[in-house]
Amino acid sequence: MTRPLNGGVTAGRPQSAAPGATTVEMRGISKWYSNGVMANDHVDLVLNPGEIHALVGENGAGKSTLMSILCGLEEPTDGEIRLDGQTVSFSSPVSASEAGIGMVHQEFKLFPSLTVAENVAFRAEPTRLGMFLSRREARERVRELADRYRLGVDPNAKVGQLSVGMLQRVEILKALHRDAQVLILDEPTAVLTPQEVDDLFAVLRELRDAGRTIVVVTHKLREVMAFSDRITVLRDGRSIATLTTSETNPAEVAHHMTGRDVDLDGRYNAGSPAGVALRVDGLFVQNELGVMVVSDANFSVRHGEIVGIAGVAGSGQTELIESIAGLGGHSSGVVELDGTDIHQLSAAERRRKGIAYIPEDRRGVGSAVTASVSDNLAMGFHRRAPLRKGWRLDRAAMKRHSADIIEAFGIRVSHAKVEAGTLSGGNLQKVIVGREMSHDSAVLLVDQPTRGVDIGAIENIHGRLRAYRDRGHAIVLTSAELSELFALADRILVMYGGRVVAEYPRADATEAKIGLAMAGITQQTLTGSEETT
Amino acid sequence: MRAWWPSLRPMLIALGIALAIGAALMLISGSNPLQAYGQIIVGSLGPNGWAATLSLAIPVIGCALAVSLPLRAGLINLGGEGQLVGGGITAVVVGTYFADLPFPLSLILAIGAAALVGAVIGFVPAIMENKLGVPLLISSLLLSYPIVAVTSFLVRFVLLDKGTGLPQTETLPAAFQMPQFGKVTGALFVLIVIIAVVIVIDRMLPAGFEIRMTGLNRKFSGYSGVAVSRMTLWVMAAGGMIAGVTGALVVTAFPFRFVDGALITPAYVWTGLLAAMLARANPVGAVVAAVFFSALQVGGAAMERETFVPRELSSILQAVIIIVLAGAIALNARKKQKVA
Ligand SMILES: Nc1ncnc2c1ncn2[C@@H]1O[C@H](COP(=O)(O)OP(=O)(O)OP(=O)(O)O)[C@@H](O)[C@H]1O
Ligand SMILES: [Mg+2]
Repeated sequence: MTRPLNGGVTAGRPQSAAPGATTVEMRGISKWYSNGVMANDHVDLVLNPGEIHALVGENGAGKSTLMSILCGLEEPTDGEIRLDGQTVSFSSPVSASEAGIGMVHQEFKLFPSLTVAENVAFRAEPTRLGMFLSRREARERVRELADRYRLGVDPNAKVGQLSVGMLQRVEILKALHRDAQVLILDEPTAVLTPQEVDDLFAVLRELRDAGRTIVVVTHKLREVMAFSDRITVLRDGRSIATLTTSETNPAEVAHHMTGRDVDLDGRYNAGSPAGVALRVDGLFVQNELGVMVVSDANFSVRHGEIVGIAGVAGSGQTELIESIAGLGGHSSGVVELDGTDIHQLSAAERRRKGIAYIPEDRRGVGSAVTASVSDNLAMGFHRRAPLRKGWRLDRAAMKRHSADIIEAFGIRVSHAKVEAGTLSGGNLQKVIVGREMSHDSAVLLVDQPTRGVDIGAIENIHGRLRAYRDRGHAIVLTSAELSELFALADRILVMYGGRVVAEYPRADATEAKIGLAMAGITQQTLTGSEETT
Repeated sequence: MRAWWPSLRPMLIALGIALAIGAALMLISGSNPLQAYGQIIVGSLGPNGWAATLSLAIPVIGCALAVSLPLRAGLINLGGEGQLVGGGITAVVVGTYFADLPFPLSLILAIGAAALVGAVIGFVPAIMENKLGVPLLISSLLLSYPIVAVTSFLVRFVLLDKGTGLPQTETLPAAFQMPQFGKVTGALFVLIVIIAVVIVIDRMLPAGFEIRMTGLNRKFSGYSGVAVSRMTLWVMAAGGMIAGVTGALVVTAFPFRFVDGALITPAYVWTGLLAAMLARANPVGAVVAAVFFSALQVGGAAMERETFVPRELSSILQAVIIIVLAGAIALNARKKQKVA
């Protein structure tokens, strides 16, 4: 069982009494990135066997960095890692994996055309005695692991056909297959539906009860309180506190995270809507595969109003918003902006007419991660004054423009010239939100504005969205979090199977009604043809 | 100025490593690396060499820029040969059929026509990609074959100089010959204008900013309101235009005629492509790399003449530089990748 670690001080997993009882100690961990950012500053983290440990902190507090160090992706500048008292150092994820530490990344690294078993066994085939043997063994082992921890994954399923929640489980299986005793999940719930979140934590509990250690990075205090045993809070790269979940409360955790009192519930206040800004009439959208993803959408949004769109993931919300922005698949119907039909216009022309858009996919669509923060903030402003001066770009104005947004939205970045991709997830979101809200557009389309964003920043972004509304803008908002819709929306539409199946003014909306409508069950029929399952 | 330093630095490091490897090879084969390198430098940049380097560098730089402008937008223009040859033959056709035009109108018209033809040849694959979904990479490359063939036909049968027995056109009238200023050809000034325009577009214009962002993330650019497919058209046309002008610059220089194959055999297009790729589309870097590769070729020949080191060594050096550089760039890109 004692395998040497690549390039590091060797430490086999000791044959301790309970198999898989590994205590992890990270002591005085510091990390300087080459661009001069100190992401971790003498962090201490102790993980006991058999616990679910929540790692929380604001965007850019250094959570992902700390976990990258633990799983061998980054080397610490200072400090040491001990496994059951023995100092180790990991030169790569492979050596960390050999020591029993596995990580489930936010972006999955799977081959869509292979089966679950093949993906799980890739580069970790159980025997080296020929492919057939190892394949069959792999399949057996995957089935056995999946059964034992009630993962509900079919080893023979093609990965390309699985949902996001299932993909995540395949990643978990990959780690378990490599015998991970310590399982790290970085923001695992950001991409999941509420039901999938509950299922995931059921699996994690099962693993914990089998003596494994789970670390979950998350921004959602509700999850932290419901599912963790202990909590470590990072702030500005330092470990501020380690708390026992049963002895603390969300307000205290939030206080540790931010150093101030946070208004967690984000009180809704009513807007004062005026005339219609956006009118959608009989809009149908087909995606690239020719599938009708939005059917006969009819609604309008007034100036000074936030309309929220609820729905389980994949009900057509994103496609609807994309289509209003002039992107995405083929569409037909009427889209009116302040009374003029813009349905024939390109995305560029719609932007010019007054549509801004915060997309769901922040790395793929909302930003150029290899461009600087400043360039990312300038995009869309570069063809008019003050960024454009005569025939050329005014560098000084670009600098001021980015400095203003960075300041206003509290983006944590050492310098506007750094690559946007090196920002922490939440900070990158603030770049996009800040840029789009700096447009004086009649309509702002917002798809999942606070995914992966910390509580302080959520409070900030919500406040800004309300203020933007109160300045007379119309906002269309989708969110996977009902609480977010309730905190912001003046009216809530529910989409199901590509149709808008229900509409509630804020005063009439209850979680129960919306929950039912999201499942396709409504009394109130807007479209005439009610969907049933 | 800071912007092009990062793209230059890996080049210098790669150059150092490549020189060290070259030196090791020469030591093993028993020659003196200092002497050989000295000959490369003197042979390419010394009093007897720089003119040769310049005349090679002009078309190579032109071809490098013809690639680098589209490459900034993430588009690979493999159609350089067709654009270069198309521009060259157009200039000769203008010189043949409008032989009475006075200087400088003659050259302006010849170069202008070459620019137009080059632009069209660049434009066609772009429109094929937009309308028919034919990948630009393939259509731009394939389009070169018929153009080169038609040109060859024109040279051998229509415009042939029957007196020489070689597949070449007649000498252009004097008004169509690029004037010399001492040892420096007027083509250099045309090229400097092109370089300046490309740099201004790249660094100063809102359009250049859009091109760069499109190259970094096409979806982001479209989402932000850039008409990406329209940009593809004009960026490819601009690339083709630069290559077309370059073709005209070659045929209006000595020997002042279109010699069949003379634009293809020296591999201006591919050396230029390499320079643009290694500079990661940065126009300044592309020019520097183009000059460097030209000097290396000219200097390599000089080295062979003066020492016992074979010219192939300069090819080996070039290959080593490219490999080391590509490695350095890949490594750099990997380091920058964010984990989560
Ligand atoms: N590869 C990198 N190069 C340079 N700086 C980096 C790199 N990765 C992270 N940083 C910086 O280190 C700091 C900590 O980032 P990290 O990703 O660890 O934060 P986080 O706590 O995970 O935030 P979030 O909740 O937004 O995901 C940030 O300031 C970030 O910009
Ligand atoms: Mg993170």
